Amino acid sequence: MIFKLFASSGPVVYISPKVIFHLGHIPITNSIFYGWLVFIFVIVFLIYVAHRVKIKPARGIIQLIEYAFEFIINLINTSFEDKNKAKKYQPYFITLFLIILINNEFELFPFAGEAFKSMGWPLLRPFTADLNATFAMAAITMGYVYYSSVKESGGFRKYLGHFFVGSPFNPLYLIIGILEMTTDLTRVFSLSLRLFLNVTIGEIVIGVFSYLGQFLAPISALPFSLIEVFIMALQAYIFTVLSVMYLAIVVNHASEKEVQTA
Amino acid sequence: MFLATTISTTLLAKGLMIGGGFIGPGIGIGLIGGNYLQAVGRNPEAAKFLGQALIFVAIVELFGLLAFASIFII
Repeated sequence: MIFKLFASSGPVVYISPKVIFHLGHIPITNSIFYGWLVFIFVIVFLIYVAHRVKIKPARGIIQLIEYAFEFIINLINTSFEDKNKAKKYQPYFITLFLIILINNEFELFPFAGEAFKSMGWPLLRPFTADLNATFAMAAITMGYVYYSSVKESGGFRKYLGHFFVGSPFNPLYLIIGILEMTTDLTRVFSLSLRLFLNVTIGEIVIGVFSYLGQFLAPISALPFSLIEVFIMALQAYIFTVLSVMYLAIVVNHASEKEVQTA
Repeated sequence: MFLATTISTTLLAKGLMIGGGFIGPGIGIGLIGGNYLQAVGRNPEAAKFLGQALIFVAIVELFGLLAFASIFII
């Protein structure tokens, strides 16, 4: 009797994005399709917010966006020792934070998932629940970080010098420096995997608990959905703060050396 | 009485992987939270470092999530 209550098939879990239609010969997956919709929303919404910002603060959602801006600006200003350099890097990281935040929160809407189907697969899948998307974001961010840190430290040789504690001709320092470089290269993977796994596993947890609840699904999945709202914002914050810190370590190190030699 | 005629090693591996994979991050998050509370208890001004503690929670959590993701490929 009790087994009749539960469906014979388990909860539906998707790890990878599925192709939903072809644009010419290019396959379009459901996660990039939803990503485009969210990007259009982000652009339109932020242009609307930018027109509404005044000296006398407006009420409503605009205040929330202003709060997010100031939060990230404070974070960057406290990470960098030099305030002029901090101002230079603010725009990129604010963009990164808002895009990840809004993409993550759009995961939780009921229309993202099984609601609409195309070619047998869900039509909308969260953009950040796709390893290709998070890997692209992490690769672009780390590329920007490497480019800026090479520029800030003044040349490629000086940038490589950050990895060595002492002279690179000492064999012990050489091995430690090479180990540091290898851990530096794994940052792209750790950044992308962290975001991807958190979003995907959040989806799976909500899916599993709404399956266990059956007709009580709204009640059984509610606490996990509320936790997800918090975790999604936390993951956007962590992605931003880690990439800011990777840049700030090199930039602060470079400006320290200038002070010592002067 | 039930006697197992075949043993599904995949199921066993999944169970072991989840169990072993979550022990480490569990201990780690417990240590971070405990030390944070201890620091706040000794010095209430340290309560503003909650954001930094959460970053370490996220770093530790990654290893548990990696174990969880691996059960889908075995």
